[in-house]
Amino acid sequence: MIPLQTDGMVVRNGRIKSVYFLLGIYCPPIASQIRPGQFVMLKTSDNASPLLRRPFSVYKSYPVSHPEGRKRGHLFILYKKVGKGTQRMTTLSKGQKVNLIGPLGNGFTLPSLSSSAHCILIGGGAGIVSLYLLAEALRGRKCFVFIGGKTQNDILGVEDFRKLDSAIFTATEDGSLGFRGTVVDLFQSEAKKFKGNKKYFIYACGPAPMLRALAGTVTSKKFVCQVSLEARMGCGFGACWGCVVKTKHPKIPYQRVCQEGPVFRLEDIALE
Amino acid sequence: MEDCDLAVRIGKIILKNPVVVSSGTFGFGEEFEGFIDLNRLGALIPKGISLEPMAGNPPPRIFETEGGILNSIGLQNPGLREFVKKKLPYYKNLKTHLIINFFGNTQKEYVELARRFDDVVGVSGLEMNVSCPNIKRSGIVFGADPQMAYRLVQAVRKATALTLIVKLSPNVTDIASMAKSVEEGGADAVSLVNTFRAMAVNIHTKKPELGNTIGGLSGPAIKPIALRMVWEVSQAVKIPIIGMGGIMNAQDAIEFILVGASAIQIGTANLINPKTGIEVLQGIKRYLVQNRIDCLQKLIGTFG
Repeated sequence: MIPLQTDGMVVRNGRIKSVYFLLGIYCPPIASQIRPGQFVMLKTSDNASPLLRRPFSVYKSYPVSHPEGRKRGHLFILYKKVGKGTQRMTTLSKGQKVNLIGPLGNGFTLPSLSSSAHCILIGGGAGIVSLYLLAEALRGRKCFVFIGGKTQNDILGVEDFRKLDSAIFTATEDGSLGFRGTVVDLFQSEAKKFKGNKKYFIYACGPAPMLRALAGTVTSKKFVCQVSLEARMGCGFGACWGCVVKTKHPKIPYQRVCQEGPVFRLEDIALE
Repeated sequence: MEDCDLAVRIGKIILKNPVVVSSGTFGFGEEFEGFIDLNRLGALIPKGISLEPMAGNPPPRIFETEGGILNSIGLQNPGLREFVKKKLPYYKNLKTHLIINFFGNTQKEYVELARRFDDVVGVSGLEMNVSCPNIKRSGIVFGADPQMAYRLVQAVRKATALTLIVKLSPNVTDIASMAKSVEEGGADAVSLVNTFRAMAVNIHTKKPELGNTIGGLSGPAIKPIALRMVWEVSQAVKIPIIGMGGIMNAQDAIEFILVGASAIQIGTANLINPKTGIEVLQGIKRYLVQNRIDCLQKLIGTFG
């Protein structure tokens, strides 16, 4: 699919908790086309500060064919205020125009309709936001959702995932909510649930240490593990080769996160 | 508006307009076809090609600074053979000029690449990179020493009849004398500037922000220096100049043309707004009309 460059209009922008914000944009062409795991590049200012666009997963999106009329054509970005770009983003207000490029990247591969595979979604911190559209697309299939963060303030989306009838497990490193430990520790402690010969599709998104820990955990062949990577990006559409990740293939040592990713098979990439 | 003559000559090529997209910021061109009509550009310069494939530098390869971007991509590319086989067919129906940017580690490699591209159908010209800051022992040595650059260009000149553009590094004391040397060596044109060697430090990790420590700075932050260099070079050489360095819009482009550039390249801006090339082209046209200039060539170097 060829990405579009288009304007959208801010329909809401506000804090949902601690440093996390939700930005709603009316942008029918992208909202209608985006698939789970794809992302958009957003220009958060109309000047050189910040200069580059910033990549964002789309948390929720409602195509123009959506049954609820008032939601049609809207997409939502759940972001964490971390640097200049996202700081600037918090100042966007309703009615303002923003420029987007998207949908970008390859997105997640879903189990085939005839497959009876169960799915396991694992999100660390803001990583969970790239998994909601996926959970929606997987509706009707048995899904286990693991949500982790440093504290209870970093646990996002629980209510939304609950509406999809997924089994939800939460972990915080400080023990303020759910299991005390990392989300991968929690997954491991629940591993007895995934005994037997059943196939599981694992989808994970989170910081590099989490994905490394996961790589050490899901060694069995019954787990097919896809991870969505984050990277600093120049363009987001494959032109600059700035966002590469190291692979395990000697012939193609670096692949672009924006183009060949952001979703990779865990076994294909070398996490450093 | 249709009456403005935007054509400019660079060596043996006539560009239908002065807007060229810069190597390394435009992928292989195909990445942009959903955003713009490539045929409207004056010329397209895909990612730089070396004789053998190159893996590029370890990430992180990109870091934003105030008004600029640091990059250390490291010239990742599929190499000549793969490029000709897999990428070149894409340009078959291109209705603008294809200029190949290339670089070697040795004079022999530069000559070999020029010779091999010389008889490739569809290639209008060559842009020789003697200036990438991200590769040790590569062009940077040639790009910083007028005598070596002269000999290198002379050797490459003998290997190709195509229009030969030499892309200059700004990381030199006297860019005008570099330009003079490559002109004497037989270059048809010079393009400048490539990126400035630069770095950034993370005070929390106490480590460099780039995997390669040092990278090249581009973007609006470098424009005033690039402009000064283009002006200096325009006073020193007779061959055409393709000016670049932080051009974000038509006004920036016109500044470069006024100080002596016959054509301009859009680099970093392509990454942020993939339509920049077309917008710059429209803005230049508008400027000419507003100022009742019927021919772009009458504008070149009219500063001062």
